[in-house]
Amino acid sequence: MIDVQNLSKQYQIAKRDPGLAGAVKSLFSRKYETKQAVQDISFQIQKGEMVGYIGANGAGKSTTIKMLSGILTPSSGVVRVNGIVPYENRRRNASQIGAVFGQRTQLFWDIPIRESYHLLKHIYQVPETEFQQRLEMFTDVLDLGPLLGIPVRQMSLGQKMRAELAAAFLHNPAVVFLDEPTIGLDVAVKDRIRAFIREMNRQQETTVILTTHDMQDIEEICNRIIIIDGGKILYDGALQAIKERFGDKRTIHFDLEKNDGFTIPYALATRVEQVVSHREAAGKSNSISLSFNNAEITAAEVISEMMQAYTIRDLTIDEVHIEQIVKDIYERGL
Amino acid sequence: MIRAYYEIAKSQVKLDFAYGAWFWSSMVSSILQMLVLFYFWRAVYANGPSELHGYKLDDMITYMVVASMIGGYTNGAGGKLAEDIRGGLVAIELMRPYDQLSKLVALDLGGKFGYFLRNTVPILVLAFLFFHINLPPSWGAAAMFPLSTALGVLIGAQFDLLVGIMAFYTVNIWGLRVLRDAVLLFFTGQLVPVMLFPEWLQSVNRFLPFQSMVYVPVSIYTGALRGAEAWVQVGIQAAWLLGVFLLVRWTWSRAMRKVTIFGG
Amino acid sequence: MRYLRLYGHFFTAQLKVMMEYRLDFLVGVFSVVLIQFTSVFFVKVVFDQIQSLNGWSFYEVLFIYGIASTGRSIHHIFFDNLWTIGWQYIRNGEFDRFLIRPVNPLFHVIANRVQQDGFGQLAIGLILLLTAISHLSIVWTVGKVLLLIVMILSSGAVFVAVNLFFATLSFWMVDSLPIVVGVFQVAEFARYPLTIFSKEIRGLLTWVIPYGFTAFYPASAFIEHSGYQSVALLTPVVAVVSCWIAYWFWGKGLRAYTSTGS
Ligand SMILES: Nc1ncnc2c1ncn2[C@@H]1O[C@H](COP(=O)(O)OP(=O)(O)OP(=O)(O)O)[C@@H](O)[C@H]1O
Ligand SMILES: [Mg+2]
Repeated sequence: MIDVQNLSKQYQIAKRDPGLAGAVKSLFSRKYETKQAVQDISFQIQKGEMVGYIGANGAGKSTTIKMLSGILTPSSGVVRVNGIVPYENRRRNASQIGAVFGQRTQLFWDIPIRESYHLLKHIYQVPETEFQQRLEMFTDVLDLGPLLGIPVRQMSLGQKMRAELAAAFLHNPAVVFLDEPTIGLDVAVKDRIRAFIREMNRQQETTVILTTHDMQDIEEICNRIIIIDGGKILYDGALQAIKERFGDKRTIHFDLEKNDGFTIPYALATRVEQVVSHREAAGKSNSISLSFNNAEITAAEVISEMMQAYTIRDLTIDEVHIEQIVKDIYERGL
Repeated sequence: MIRAYYEIAKSQVKLDFAYGAWFWSSMVSSILQMLVLFYFWRAVYANGPSELHGYKLDDMITYMVVASMIGGYTNGAGGKLAEDIRGGLVAIELMRPYDQLSKLVALDLGGKFGYFLRNTVPILVLAFLFFHINLPPSWGAAAMFPLSTALGVLIGAQFDLLVGIMAFYTVNIWGLRVLRDAVLLFFTGQLVPVMLFPEWLQSVNRFLPFQSMVYVPVSIYTGALRGAEAWVQVGIQAAWLLGVFLLVRWTWSRAMRKVTIFGG
Repeated sequence: MRYLRLYGHFFTAQLKVMMEYRLDFLVGVFSVVLIQFTSVFFVKVVFDQIQSLNGWSFYEVLFIYGIASTGRSIHHIFFDNLWTIGWQYIRNGEFDRFLIRPVNPLFHVIANRVQQDGFGQLAIGLILLLTAISHLSIVWTVGKVLLLIVMILSSGAVFVAVNLFFATLSFWMVDSLPIVVGVFQVAEFARYPLTIFSKEIRGLLTWVIPYGFTAFYPASAFIEHSGYQSVALLTPVVAVVSCWIAYWFWGKGLRAYTSTGS
């Protein structure tokens, strides 16, 4: 479905000296600096895959997506989406892709979204019956009913994003690019959006490429992740595999009845390590955080040992967050 | 506090310089316009009397050059204000530790400094080298001209804010801004010298603030206004400035009440 | 054909929005009337002092004005969005959304806006034309009426081409609005008999920024003593060529945009 080979993109950035003098000087001559945003990346994505494309700020995610959707021409390398080279055959590519770009709206600003959808129907030449069917289903799943008569201008972020998502799927695209579709949304809206994406993928086998900083998105939607850093691919593979490899580190936070001279129980001493978490940092002196390797000892064991040694008021177990994993990879490499 | 406004103005100057192409193109287009004006009036004089209301060709050219030079400054920060209002920025700006209107004026003055370099300077060079425009007739006029111009420019800036504030009420003010441009172009005497207006229109204009923006300073430059009469006009300018300023503050505080009560 | 239908759908959607801003609509139309009035008044005031401007009478100049206004209104009503490509779409990256739609991006930009005050301009242009014609002794035949229509359409096309050309600069300089506005101001003065200008400026308005073909040349076709009756007939050719050049330039701009990404 998507075939990316040795893709690179450099940006030219005009450099300017600081201050007014620099500004004046820049009128007459400018120095350019080359910024390598994406560097020689390759990957294939099959039909129906849902891929999380993740990386730190400025890693090159949006740049890649822009090249895949035909907005940017690569400096070198080749992209094929369904056999079409997006930046050469932009219009043909456009009818088979859908996109949501962060907080930027694709809908018509002043026009009620019902009208917007209507226009989009004509732009993408969607047959009327299909359009009606789809709109009905979207209205249902995304709860758009009360919004149809309102222009985007007057919508809240969450409402806008739902409307936006429906617009991206209206012409039943083979591939959908979602560049931070859940940014700034509350949990309920996020859930709805994730459910919608999964549902579309199940029904239509839509290929989804998702960039996000919300790891929950990835865990709930994607079965594969590509991690990019400094324009290069760090990891490309199953989400499960990387979780197994890195996701064995866990932390349990205990709230003790009293805390006078805490020591790790003898039975745990070699396999558990005390860490300083934000709770202690926040001055909750009765809190203790223990970190351990899931392969060496289970959470149940740690808890039962602790309960024998101390009176425990409360405890929480940190979920294995891919965020942590990604951070580890950033910091330590694979 | 003054220091803060100074820094704001300076930031605007830097911003203007940052858009290099903007700078050059604006300069070229202002020179072009000046040339067209020059030829137009030359043709008018070639076809008609050698004098229009006491203005010979070189007087008229002088009038037009100085008038369009000053006319370039009659705009202000109203557009930015309207944009802020529409984008909801005004409410955010309320939390900032400065007076919003003064900030906008500071930004605008910064912008005018850039405008001075890219439009006024080349026009002046062109005008003195190729059009041979007249100098002010006396040292007194030369000294009074900057004062009168400053007053005119400030009136224009306040008036522009007034138009910008209207965005609180009409959302879209594009139409209103075009209207403002038309009114200013005409009544300030930028396009048609006020002395060519029919008599009744000249009298109407005497009661409007617009001729204080351009016509008065230009007339001081050309010497058409001099002595006590000139001082009277400068006084009127000052009065208008105060009047428009108070009007702006009043509408602003009313609009602000509306924002803080109704949430924009 | 598909684009025509599509434009229809855009148009009706825009009309619905317009109805929501009735006040702005009225103010817009009123200001256009006022601006037109201002420039006609300017001419009137000047002509109070002279009989003719290089052989052109007041009503002949008014005729030039009429063609300019009508031609401009075509541009104004349908192509107004070209003005603000820079700050409306390119500066903030909104332009990207046109690139992921299966229609020509230029069409999309144009269809995205209908400028209502263009209608006011059209009305005034027609009034000016009729006033001028009623005072001029032109013998009107079917051929001449057709010619006038072609001339007006060509005038509109030249406006569109010039604006498109300079708006395209936005792809390189983010916002070319100052240039577009500056160039457009030059058009104001292309509404006078070109003979009043020096050779260089005449050349500029004929060959570089062909605004001469928005008003003066097309009008000359109907004024016998103009001395430009044959040049006037080139107007439609100039219109087609300049549209072609502008569109070619637009294509280059688009390519630059998609390779620099800002
Ligand atoms: N139009 C542009 N011109 C110049 N440099 C750019 C441009 N767009 C992006 N860059 C640079 O390219 C790099 C990659 O940017 P990109 O937007 O692809 O990052 P990202 O992974 O999407 O980051 P984020 O998570 O913050 O959205 C960054 O260093 C950025 O500064
Ligand atoms: Mg990004």
